[in-house]
Amino acid sequence: METNTFEPKIVGFLCRWCTYQGADLAGTSRMEYPPNLIPVRVMCSGRVDPSFVMQAYSEGADAVVIFGCHLGDCHYQEGNYKAMRRYHLLKKMIEELGIEPQRLQLEWVSASEGERYQKEVSRIFSEVRELGPLDLNNGKAQSNG
Amino acid sequence: MKPYRAELMVCAGTGCVSNGAFQVKDALENEIKERGLENEVRVVTTGCNGFCGVGPLLVVHPDGIFYQLLTTKDIPYLVEEHFLKGRPVQRLMYTPPEDKLPVPKMSEIEFFKHQMLIALRNRGIIDPENIEEYIARDGYTGLAKALNGMTPEEIIQTVKDSKLRGRGGAGFQTGVKWELTRKAKEKTKYIVCNADEGDPGAYMDRSILESDPHSILEGMIIGARAIGAQQGFIYIRHEYPLAMKRLLIAIDQAKEYGLLGDNIFDTGFSFDIQVHRGAGAFVCGEETALLSALEGQRGEPRPRPPYPVEHGLSGYPTNINNVETWANIPVIISRGAKWYAEIGTENSKGTKVFSLVGKINNTGLVEVPMGIKLRDIIYGIGGGIPDGKKFKAVQTGGPSGGCIPDSLIDLPIDYESLKEAGSMMGSGGMVVMDEDTCMVDVARYFLTFTCDESCGKCSPCRDGTKYLLDILTRITEGKGNMEDLDLLEGLSKVVKETALCGLGQTAPNPILTTMKYFRDEYESHIKDKKCPAKVCRQLNIYTIDEERCVTEGHGCGVCMRECPEKAITGEKKKAHKINQEICVKCGACYDVCRFGAVIVE
Amino acid sequence: MINITLNGKKLSVEEGMTILQVAQQERIDIPTLCYHPLLEPYAACRMCVVEVKGDSKSELKTSCNTKVQEGMVIETDSERTLNARRLNIELLMARAPAAKVIQEMAAQMGIEKTPFPIENPEAKCILCGMCVRVCEDVVGAHVLTFEERGFERKVTTAFNMPSEKCIECGACAYFCPTEAIRVEDFRGREVLHSELTLGPTTAIRIPFMQSTPNVPFIDKDNCIHFKTDKCKLCEMVCEPEAINHDVEDTFKEIEVGSAVLATGYELLDCSNMPQYGYGRLDNVITSLEFEHLCHASGPTGGKILLKDGREPKGVAILHCIGSRDENYMKYCSRVCCMYAMKMAHLVHEKVDAEVYEFYIDIRAFGKGYEEFYNRMQKEGTHFIRGKAAEVTNAALIPEEENKLIVRAEDTTVNMIRRIPVDLVILCPAIVARKDSEKIMKLFGLCSTPDGFFKEQHPKLGPVSTDADGIFLAGACQGPKDIPDTVAQGAGAAGAVMSLGDEVAIEPIFSAIDEEICVGCKICIGVCPYDAISYVEDKKISSIEETLCKGCGACVAACPSGAADQNCFTNSQIEAEVSGALF
Ligand SMILES: Cc1cc2nc3c(=O)[nH]c(=O)nc-3n(C[C@H](O)[C@H](O)[C@H](O)COP(=O)(O)OP(=O)(O)OC[C@H]3O[C@@H](n4cnc5c(N)ncnc54)[C@H](O)[C@@H]3O)c2cc1C
Ligand SMILES: Cc1cc2nc3c(=O)[nH]c(=O)nc-3n(C[C@H](O)[C@H](O)[C@H](O)COP(=O)(O)O)c2cc1C
Ligand code: SF4
Ligand code: SF4
Ligand code: FES
Repeated sequence: METNTFEPKIVGFLCRWCTYQGADLAGTSRMEYPPNLIPVRVMCSGRVDPSFVMQAYSEGADAVVIFGCHLGDCHYQEGNYKAMRRYHLLKKMIEELGIEPQRLQLEWVSASEGERYQKEVSRIFSEVRELGPLDLNNGKAQSNG
Repeated sequence: MKPYRAELMVCAGTGCVSNGAFQVKDALENEIKERGLENEVRVVTTGCNGFCGVGPLLVVHPDGIFYQLLTTKDIPYLVEEHFLKGRPVQRLMYTPPEDKLPVPKMSEIEFFKHQMLIALRNRGIIDPENIEEYIARDGYTGLAKALNGMTPEEIIQTVKDSKLRGRGGAGFQTGVKWELTRKAKEKTKYIVCNADEGDPGAYMDRSILESDPHSILEGMIIGARAIGAQQGFIYIRHEYPLAMKRLLIAIDQAKEYGLLGDNIFDTGFSFDIQVHRGAGAFVCGEETALLSALEGQRGEPRPRPPYPVEHGLSGYPTNINNVETWANIPVIISRGAKWYAEIGTENSKGTKVFSLVGKINNTGLVEVPMGIKLRDIIYGIGGGIPDGKKFKAVQTGGPSGGCIPDSLIDLPIDYESLKEAGSMMGSGGMVVMDEDTCMVDVARYFLTFTCDESCGKCSPCRDGTKYLLDILTRITEGKGNMEDLDLLEGLSKVVKETALCGLGQTAPNPILTTMKYFRDEYESHIKDKKCPAKVCRQLNIYTIDEERCVTEGHGCGVCMRECPEKAITGEKKKAHKINQEICVKCGACYDVCRFGAVIVE
Repeated sequence: MINITLNGKKLSVEEGMTILQVAQQERIDIPTLCYHPLLEPYAACRMCVVEVKGDSKSELKTSCNTKVQEGMVIETDSERTLNARRLNIELLMARAPAAKVIQEMAAQMGIEKTPFPIENPEAKCILCGMCVRVCEDVVGAHVLTFEERGFERKVTTAFNMPSEKCIECGACAYFCPTEAIRVEDFRGREVLHSELTLGPTTAIRIPFMQSTPNVPFIDKDNCIHFKTDKCKLCEMVCEPEAINHDVEDTFKEIEVGSAVLATGYELLDCSNMPQYGYGRLDNVITSLEFEHLCHASGPTGGKILLKDGREPKGVAILHCIGSRDENYMKYCSRVCCMYAMKMAHLVHEKVDAEVYEFYIDIRAFGKGYEEFYNRMQKEGTHFIRGKAAEVTNAALIPEEENKLIVRAEDTTVNMIRRIPVDLVILCPAIVARKDSEKIMKLFGLCSTPDGFFKEQHPKLGPVSTDADGIFLAGACQGPKDIPDTVAQGAGAAGAVMSLGDEVAIEPIFSAIDEEICVGCKICIGVCPYDAISYVEDKKISSIEETLCKGCGACVAACPSGAADQNCFTNSQIEAEVSGALF
């Protein structure tokens, strides 16, 4: 069997209040997870401008993940709801563009959930590895018109 | 009402009824019907006549002929002779003990002759279950007068002027009590009729309730008007079902006639009466205990003050009067205070009903004017002592009263004289005792009652009466000593002055009076170990007059068979003997020997 | 005012007073047996009689219920009164020979013997009715009553059966002057005074000595008034009239600038660990229950007793119940080792018993702690290195009969040991409170994986949290002992104090470029803090910096790119993304 050795590039937007600390915890706890997800710290998942996501795709990201606090736990009360609404719209939009919806993900990880962070990152990594690289020019985007 | 030639008043008081008055009545009615006399002669049932010792009895109106001790067997003859043929039957008439000739007319009979009927004015005359008969005898005219022509203050003034005193025992001025209740601050007020009559042997209240219930209702309605009460209660003894029934009938009738309930006589005055069945303890007759019982609590006396006139039923001012007191009211109002105040003595006005029982020829209820001499009651109305025995003493006032000796036979009967003599009016019990009565035993008997009836709340009464009884019992058993007499007297005084309610305060009276008048009897029980009246069996020595036993009884041996302890030995035709070691002094041999061979010493 | 003469002394007293009240005011002693100032006069014992002299006759009256009247002449010690009292006490001596009050009263009157027969030398009840009245009139439970009458009268319950209406307040026993009534439990054990409503811990009480505020409160669960609607004795005796049973708990909103959370911890529920028998076996208790048992205001008044009232002869203290345990809490609860040794010390101090500590490691890390450990070893506490595996009552050998047996592997000698004891104390793990989730939500906090509140930074921010103005103190942040709690508390207080009047805000806030803004107002709708307002004359939106918390929601929403966020500018993030993908 041929082993998949594809190393995807994944951009993660991490809320500084929850996931960023969760990731920190995972790190200080010496948990192992794929290094393919590069975290970008934001003040809140609601701060993630859709243009950042699109920029990531255009600049070669194979997937984008937005991490926020669990619903109800947002440091700014409702930022994660805003993120969620945008996420659903964005998902539709990237589909239009021929990008597989799995290439955009939204996850809730709290500051104490280092383990969850580790698991989610690992899962997303293997999913994206399965999908293969995102080819904006020759990919399905074109064929789907 | 249709006129009849003759009306046969059959007494339906409890005494006569229990001796078969209703059977007699039925027999009379049957017989009259059979003879076709039903349109001429009518049978009426009345309340108690008072002469209960000779019931069932019958009074024929209008001629006033009095028949006694009737049985159903006498009826056919009586109807035929008297009501058909017009020949009164002498055999069934009353014959005074010392006379041979019968007395046909009721008014001529000694027992009735000296009486003066106010509270019992309608006894034997009306049908207590028919309000019209009460009205026909001027019933409810007092009420009409009180409601239409008098202010409450005037009513109270009239009662005060009559100087009527409570007939329940203590003899408090009724008018004064009414005034106190009227003046009490609270607007809600109650009046209560105390019909708990608990003295053993007393039944004057029952007699009034049974023979004339409307007189009580009328008295209470007048009282309510004067006092300003909206609600009245009659607390009636549990053992008086007939009285209860008649009261309820009377209340229904009075309501129907607009004499009770809302807007009486259209005067805007409303008043209602509830009948409450008593709980059955003697002490419930005490006013505060009665109120507790009415409130649904344990019938136990409460400390006074506060008195019920201020703080009575459920805390509201409450006026409590005795049955007889209430029954006097209508007459006082209709005939006026002046008329009433002319009867009786300086401080005791009107009449009083007594129940005359014991060792006396004529027993029954008697109503006499206050101030009457004891002698007139015993020898006049009562017809003297039976079997020619000697009069020894009379106990008045029930278990709380005292014994009045022979030497005070001319004592006028009124509140003060009785109290001075160490006894009291009480509810009007009068027990006559002859020479065969042991006064220590009498005291013991009454103490047994009070000790048993003590509610147990306060210690002098609860424990004091028990130890008083213990000492008395000890004396009657020959185990007393002279120190016991001091203890008896000392304890009696302390119980009397410290007990919480009237029961305890009066319970020692029988002891104190018997010790005062008959101290020698106590001493002979203690010193000589003898009961002069031979009543206290433990002090008796039973022996057999051997000669008599053989000659008269031929050694019949009945005593030997009756003796429960087998203390008697002997053979037929030979003298019998009692073994004193075994004898428990039950007296059975004495009671069964027909030849008078058993001797008591 | 009313003029009376009391024992020859002319007095002017208030209307409505009883003779007894006046006498007490005058310090004249009148014996009473059925009188209690909190109850209506009952006037049944008749001991309080005094002589009231009238013009013609004088009477004995009970002073407890007789009110003074104008011109009354009263003698409290006349020969007649004394005589009546003497005979009365002799009656009561015969009735209740074993009653101490009666013996004392008689002795005072110089009476040694009663002339009346004594039926029961053990009897105590004088039928004063205190118990019945207090039960009826004060408590309102209507349990006690009298039965029979006259000499046979006695105090009883309805049908002489244990009454369901009894609320076990113990008032009857408390009021009984003769100790004729005692309260016992269904096993016949005399109920301790402290276990009754009227014991040292009454229904109205100061919760504990150090409580703040240091004033009594009404314990609705035990207060008689809330069971029967009556009583209110406390209202009667409270002169300033400070008691009001009708007040309801109310919620008050207090506006504050910051808060310190010190909500503490809970103990792990041991009933989910069947191997230790908690809740199933008698005399297996938790450490907290032991603390309660030991305390002077506890159910036994501080005595260490077993459930049946005996003193234990052997006590086992089991460390790490649910702590350092893969199946429950992985962490160390930090305080148990030390308090377990403290308990061993208390047991040694109070009862004569062997104490066994079952431990994994002794963690005596604090100041003076190791020394205490050494001292305990010298005191004779048996330290058994090995976590207790099981507590059972199944005996194998006679010595184990009727004992609790603790089974553990002693790792110092590598063998299984069975130690029979009478009392087992479990030291359960210190865990986050069940309601901590709710509190976290309320204050915008996070927890660490063990469920305790998360501090801002384990080293740099140990008292502050991610939420501005919210600080932590004590075991709500993680297991810790009292010194650490106090230290953290002081730290938190200090942090609050240092906030001062001026608020330092983070440099992270958003701003709108006036030049670019088109005044579409979208940003105004997304700001959760109402920090953005529309400037009418300029027809643009503008952000108030001090209100802005810097979430950046408006920046993400701004369609014209006029809004941007300090420290997290669009271009910075874009550069970061680019950098990440480089
Ligand atoms: C058996 C035992 C023995 C111990 N012995 C010792 C010892 O000898 N020495 C020592 O140093 N330590 C000892 N400890 C540890 C000690 O109990 C803790 O260190 C200390 O209690 C922690 O204090 P705290 O104030 O943080 O929490 P707690 O004492 O738990 O206090 C928290 C308080 O907050 C209240 N609360 C909770 N939630 C809310 C809310 N939502 N709103 C309002 N109030 C709330 C609670 O009712 C409680 O009063 C012992 C612990 C145990 C279990
Ligand atoms: C022990 C005791 C029993 C009493 N029993 C009765 C009773 O049976 N009937 C009654 O009318 N009064 C009884 N009394 C008197 C009442 O207490 C009260 O004085 C009376 O009812 C008042 O009514 P009067 O003023 O009309 O007499 C009794 C008193 C005592 C102390
Ligand atoms: S038990 Fe005590 S309080 Fe109750 S009546 Fe007897 S002595 Fe009085
Ligand atoms: S009502 Fe008052 S006195 Fe009675 S139990 Fe409650 S707190 Fe105590
Ligand atoms: S104290 Fe007055 S009668 Fe008992």
